[in-house]
This record gives sequence, structure tokens and C-alpha cells, in this order.
Amino acid sequence: MATERVKKEEKYPVARRYQVADVQVSREAQAVKPEVIVRLVKKAKHPVLITGGQLLKDEKLVEYAVKFHEKGIPIIATGGSSKPLIEKGVKPQSAVFTLHQITQYMLDPDWKGFDDKGAYDVVLYLGFLPYYLSRMLSALKHFSKITTISLDEFYHPHARFSFTNLTANKEMHYRMLEEVINGL
Amino acid sequence: MAFELREGVFVLDDVRNVSIRIGKVIEEEEEWEEAGPTPMPGIMELRKWDHKLLERYEPFYAPVQDFCNLCTMGPCDLSANKRGACGIDLKTAKARLVTIACCIGAAAHTAHARHLLDHLIEEFGEDTPIDLGPDVNVEAPNIRTIVGVKPKTLGDLRVALEWAEREIVKVLHATHIGNEESLVDYESKAMHVSMCDHVGMEVADIAQIVAYNLPKAEPDTPLVDTGFGVVDRSKPVIVVVGHNVMYARPIADYLEEHGLIDQFEIAGLCCTSHDMTRYNAKAKIFGPISYQLRVIRAGLPDIIVSDEQCIRADLLEACKAMGIPLIATSDAAVRGLPDVNEWDVDKIADALATGKLAGVFLTDPVKIGEVAVRVARAVFEKKKKGELFFESEEEFKNEIAKCTQCMNCVFTCPHNLRIDQGMAHAQKTGDVSKLAKLEEQCIACMKCEQVCPKNIRIINVIMRSNLNNLYAKTGKTRVGRGPVQDTEIRKVGQPIVFGQIPGVIAAVGCVNFPDEMGDLRIILEEFLKRRYIVVTSGCHAMDLGMIKDEEGQTLYEKYPGNFDAGGLVNMGSCVANSHIAGACIKIANIFAMRPLRGNYAEIADYILNRVGAVGFSWGPYSHKAASIATGFNRLGVPVVVGPHGMKYRRAYIGKPWNPEKWWVYDIKTRQKMNIEPAPDALLLAVETKEEAIVQLARLCLRPNDTSMGRQIKLTHYLELSQKYMGTLPDDWPIYVRSEADLPLKMKEELLHILESEHGWKIDWSKKKILEGPIRPYDAGFNPTLVEEVYEKYTKGK
Repeated sequence: MATERVKKEEKYPVARRYQVADVQVSREAQAVKPEVIVRLVKKAKHPVLITGGQLLKDEKLVEYAVKFHEKGIPIIATGGSSKPLIEKGVKPQSAVFTLHQITQYMLDPDWKGFDDKGAYDVVLYLGFLPYYLSRMLSALKHFSKITTISLDEFYHPHARFSFTNLTANKEMHYRMLEEVINGL
Repeated sequence: MAFELREGVFVLDDVRNVSIRIGKVIEEEEEWEEAGPTPMPGIMELRKWDHKLLERYEPFYAPVQDFCNLCTMGPCDLSANKRGACGIDLKTAKARLVTIACCIGAAAHTAHARHLLDHLIEEFGEDTPIDLGPDVNVEAPNIRTIVGVKPKTLGDLRVALEWAEREIVKVLHATHIGNEESLVDYESKAMHVSMCDHVGMEVADIAQIVAYNLPKAEPDTPLVDTGFGVVDRSKPVIVVVGHNVMYARPIADYLEEHGLIDQFEIAGLCCTSHDMTRYNAKAKIFGPISYQLRVIRAGLPDIIVSDEQCIRADLLEACKAMGIPLIATSDAAVRGLPDVNEWDVDKIADALATGKLAGVFLTDPVKIGEVAVRVARAVFEKKKKGELFFESEEEFKNEIAKCTQCMNCVFTCPHNLRIDQGMAHAQKTGDVSKLAKLEEQCIACMKCEQVCPKNIRIINVIMRSNLNNLYAKTGKTRVGRGPVQDTEIRKVGQPIVFGQIPGVIAAVGCVNFPDEMGDLRIILEEFLKRRYIVVTSGCHAMDLGMIKDEEGQTLYEKYPGNFDAGGLVNMGSCVANSHIAGACIKIANIFAMRPLRGNYAEIADYILNRVGAVGFSWGPYSHKAASIATGFNRLGVPVVVGPHGMKYRRAYIGKPWNPEKWWVYDIKTRQKMNIEPAPDALLLAVETKEEAIVQLARLCLRPNDTSMGRQIKLTHYLELSQKYMGTLPDDWPIYVRSEADLPLKMKEELLHILESEHGWKIDWSKKKILEGPIRPYDAGFNPTLVEEVYEKYTKGK
């Protein structure tokens, strides 16, 4: 059942890096459970969810993004993910800029965000090619103080926080997303 | 007595023991154009231009490693922009790394050019005229603009090549420990060395066109067979791989001279195949680098002849495993093989045909031709002709059965392909369609096989799963034509600069695509239908030759090969990329009469502000792709790369929300004025094909567009955004200067949006914008970022 919580006794998979050769000397992301993410987002002053092109291939991810939006989390849509989201009534803050451009803007403390409310402090990511997202997270890790949280199925070492590696258990991934949304 | 001064050694009859050696005779140079400010520029001469660009298009760094281990003081942890033992910080270290990558790319093309040029001068003579056909007078736009010379013969190309070699060494020196400390200056050097790359490429392609009589700017070149299924397996198959046709050419010559060309198959992998088909259209194209293991593991070649660049570093091992003899021909990749240049042909052919030697290093072109043909025939005659990739269906199924879904392959695959799911599905159902689907995305890098605990031949499994489709992906590529004609530029120069031709999309580069190869066709056909000019080269050009529509046609069969609206122009191999830069330069020269000679900054400034050309590399991976793109960036041409392009670590992305960054001098009004951010990035990675399409259309916008041009460009940008993003783009209002810029069909709707959502003032009786735009439209607007250009065109006028 999609709304079911991940049970305490259920074993979380090991946080296996999306790419075995992506080895760093500095900190790696903390693999966190949904409730930790809920707390981080609730404490955030200016959170945002950025959606990627994989929403065009996985309708479930679209559904979850819509639910985040319904919980009041603004969305920046990239990679064409705006199209299915708009069809479901979501109005993203931006639809045309790439994650690459948005990351460049986020690295500038003078940027006021698409909503002109100042810098985003907690950024959630959903639905990206892992190697594409990874480099953006690396840029933000080294050159900003933004808290980055990956909600994707691959564990992202360059995020500040990430879901663990959920590639072998898609249902668990969906349940964890549901759990975050329900907690907000 | 008249004395003709010429090169050589002379003895004076009446003077004993005296001879005079005359080296190069320097003739008075033809005054073909007034010399510009920066002929043969060093690192400093164009630095000011680079800093202008980099101030606007700020470098973005996405480290792949946060450590540096280039010297013995390290390894150093540079994370969070810490400094290493040498004092360098993470951003500057990445700028240095990109500079090194660009040096490698530039050196590859330039050394290739050196190799070719020295050989061609020796074979054909230094006085061989540079004749690129009746419609090409501006023969070497890069060399004219950058080096400041007008080459007339093969020998004249030496000057340009020597300049490029010198500058590459200087930039490489700057990457040594303890040199540059400014990331912006590293980026300037990356741009400098990448500009050298375009000179090196131009030398190489002009030299081979002239000497080998390759197509000279002809739009209607032949269509040649392309794809995995091109060869007739009842004939011996000779496969050439790499980038330097110098060594593949004698094979075709030998076959022609001996009347054997129809009894053999000669097919190529990577750019050598382009140049082989330019030389002899009976040659065929197997495909790009990702087809190397496909072709070798299938056992299709009876001999392989390798040259240089983008060839697998385990080629010999792969050939050995399949019993395919190898001839390595380039000193850039000797592959540990014995040098047999002193051996006679019989001895070499015997050693290879009998398997005494798995491969040889041989550079003598005449011997290569004969040896390749004789060995291919001998190997073919004794080769067992069985099934491809696996000897039997049972063996294939047994291989799949070994998989335990450990997923080691998934976490080492560059695309994270779900090989585990394909294997599991096949094990449960016997249906290999999920594995077959992977073939469309797999670059056959073989990393998966090395981590498989069961030693499954994963590449073979994937290829065998899609074998029928792999064969069926065989189509036609239009042979590379070389440069764009001056006459074509005369026709399209004005509509490109004014914007009526909405843009030039240059699809070049490698095959590290994020998804199926077919996406490349979808992206480019969107622009061909909309009457953009699409040019292509290298691996992108050959991929287009194997992607067919429902009617079985490739884009080359649907769209003409001329440089005009709706044309699909295959320039040729990697080194033919110089003709794309050359076409941009020619627009400034032939249409706008801007002088080229040593006048780089003015030409680049002209292109940045007026020529709506955008580079596109959907699957970049090589260092050469890095230097080609960075060279285009310095020339004012933005480049969009696919998602793997992020791993170049550096991009140039402007901030459209910061008005201070977007200004020009207007030569007409003599004012410094704010402009719209067009284009707002010079190097940008996208994630999906949908995003690529919209960004390509967006980056074709230029400040100098006329109202009609802007209207046409905005029409495409808005339509494509609605089609692929489901909405109007967020930023369209900033590109509107007056109501005449608005797409006609949507004009009223857009005026309402400008008024209601953006607070613009509209006179509805005239449907006229009264207030709102960054600047008004002025038909005489004459923008420049370069102070010297401003002064040149305003002084005393």
C-alpha cells in the first residue's frame, strides 16, 4: 500500500553510491529516513522542490510532485517536467530554465529566487538522471551553504541529505516519498 | 646576368669551395586586406575579449573530484574551495583541469594536421594550390582571422600550424604547478588554446581536401551506406578506425588499382570512415566509437587498421579475442606492437595471416594498402562463419541464466542502465525485449563486464538481444562536403543576421547520449521542419545516417545538403568542424564586409551579437569536444551539451536576472545601453531532448535581430516551449522590444499578458506597447562589446 509507512523492522538498503567510481575525500551525504526530511523541510524558511526530466518517464513521480505542491512546497520544473505537472494543475515557479542554470543562480547569494523572496535554503530534488544531478549537487556542496536533499532512487553522495539506494525496491521508494509528503 | 632567387644549394663557378644555401624565400606578401590588431595572437592579445565574455558568462564549476593529486605534495583535499599545498583552490584547479582537457583536444587535431601536412607536402609538393572549388574564395576563414595570413598553397599552411603549435605549448606550460592563480585567466587560456584547435582543424581539412581531392563545398555529395549491417559478409571485410585517413586511403587505392574494390568491403568506424567516404564513396560507415565493440565482438572485420584518437585503448585485446589481425599506423597509438616498417610485404602479411603476430605497427602507406588486402583475404578464407555474438541460442540463454541481479553492472554503467531488470525479465519469461531496448542506449564501454562476478559477456548479451534491429539500423549518410560556399553565405548571410532564418544549429560531437540514438533525429528534425539550417559533423553526422523513419528514410534523404533554410549539411569529420566556425566568420566578412585579417575580437563580437548559431553536442565525451566547444564559445557561439557534458566540470552561464551584466555600446546612438540577455549562456548542459530543443531555440536569439527576425525566432521559441514544456517560457517578455517582435498569431494574447502580469502599458487602440521593454527597437542598432570596435566605427564619423 502506497500510504503505508516504512516499518521500523524493515531493513533499509545500504547507501550505495549511484556510481561506484564517484569517490570523494570530503563528506558524503547522510542517508536519511523520511521523517528526517520532514523535519528539515518544516524548519526551512524558503524550501523548494526541483523536478527533473525523469518525470516524463515515471508517472508516479509526477503524482508525488503534485502532492508536494498541494502541501505548499513550490516547484521549479526542469527538463520538460513542467508539462505533466501543468496538466495536473501545478503552476511551477519556472518551466524553461535548466537545472544547470538554476544551480548557477543558486550559487549567487544575490539571487532572490524565482518568487523574489530571497535565496532558497532547502532544496529537494526529484526525478533526475543521477549523473546529471550529481554534478549540480557537487557544485552546491562545495560553493554554497544550501541544504540539498535528494529524493531520487539512487543514493547521491554529493547531496547534504539523500534517500538511501532504493534501486532494488521501487515500492519502498514510493512509500518513502509518500511518508515525506504525509509528514508535511 | 639575371639571377632568379629560389630555394636550393648553389655553387659559384669562379669562387672555389664556396656554395650558397638559400632556405625559404620570403616573398612580399600580397596586400589582401588591411592588417587587424591581433595577427598571430599570444595569450595576452585576446585576453580582454575573454574577460568581457567571462564577466557576462560566469564560469560554473561542478567538481567530479574534490581532491587534486597532480603533484607529489598532494594528494590535497580541496573540498569546499580549500587550497592545496601549492595554493590552488578548487575552482581554479577545475579551471586548470578544463584548460588541460582543451590542450589535449587542440593538440590532437593540431598534431593530426601536422602529420597530414608534412606527409602531403612530401607527396604532392608544397606548391600544391589551395583550391576549394569555384565558389570558395575565402578559403581559410579561421586562419585569415586568427593568424592573419591568406594561404595559397599547402606550404603556406605551415605558418598557421607553427603558430598553433607554439600557442598550445604556451598554454600547456601555464597549467604547470605554480603558474596561473586566476580561474578567469585559466578560462581565457582554455579559450585561447581552443581557438588554436580551430586553426589546427582547418589546416588538416583544407590539406586533405586539396591533396586527396575530397568534395569541395558540394551540397550534393553521394549517399553512402551506414550502420551495423552495411557489409556483405560473403566478402572479406577491411575495417579502418580512427581519425586520420592518410593510412586508410592506400587501401582503397590498392583495391581500385587491382580491380578488387567490388570483391572486398571497406568500412570505417569513427571519423576515418567519414574521410574514407569523402575519398571514395564505395567505402561504408559502420558507425561511431560505440560501435567498435559491436563490430569486433560480432567478428565482422577480417582485418582492422587503426590510426589515432577516440579508439578503444584495449583494441588489440579485443581484436586478439576474436582472431582479428590489427595494423596500427599512428605513432600516437603504437599499442605495444612491433615496428615492421623495414620488413617486406610478404613477411608482414604472413605474420598477420598465420597469427604469428596479433598485430603490427606499420606506417608505410604503400605497404599498408597491400598488407591489409592480402591479410583480409587470407583471414576471410579460413574464418568460420557462424552466428554473431554467441555460437548458439542455447549459449546465449545460458549466459543470461547466470545473472544474480547483484546490480554491480548498474552502479558502474555510465548511464546506470538497468541491466539487472533486463536479465531478470529474460530469465522469467524468455523475452529479451528489455535487454534489446538497452542496445539502443548502450555505448558498449565494457565496464559492466569487468565488475560482473559471474563473468557474463554482457555486451554480447545486449547486442544479441537486439540483433535484428541492429542490422536494420542501416541507412544512408550524405558524404561530408567540406566548407560552405561563399555564394551560399551571400544568400543566407542577411536572413541569418536579421533573423528571418531563425538560426543555425550545429550538431557535432560524440555518442555519449543520455538515451536512444533516435532522439538526435527527433531534436534536429524539429529544427529542419522549422527551416533552421542544420549542420553536422563527426559522430553525430554518422548517427543521423542510421536513424530511419517509418518510410525507411534518414534525414539525409529527406532534406537537401545545401547551407540554406531547411538544409542538412554534413561537413565531414571532426576536423571539418572548422568549416562551421568558418561559416560564421564568413557571414561577418562576406555579408557585413568586416575585415578578417588578424581581427578576431571584432569578428567574434559580430557573431555574438548578430549570428544566431548554436552548437549542439548531445553526447560529448572527448577532450576534442571540449576544445571544439570552447573554441566556439570564444567566437561568440553558444553550445548546448547533453547531460553527460556536465562532467566537463565547467560551463559558462550568465545571470539574466542581473541587468548590470547585459549591456553593449551602440555605435549608432553612441551610448552604452542595457540589452536583453541574448544569448544568456555560452555553455550549458541539458537533461532531456525536450529541454535541448527549447534551449537551442532560445539561444538563437540575438540583440541585433530585426523585428521580423525576432518575431520569427520568438514564434519558434514560444511554440516549442508550449509543445515541450506545456507553457509559454518564463522569460519571453524580456526579449520583447516592441509589439512588432510578438508572434503574429499570439499578438493580442501576449499583449494582454504583458499588461496584466508584467505591468506593461499598452495602447490598445493601436495595439502598441508604450512602456515595459528593456529597450526600444531601433532598426539602426549597431551593438558591440569591444571598445576598440566602437572607436573604429565612430571616430571622425
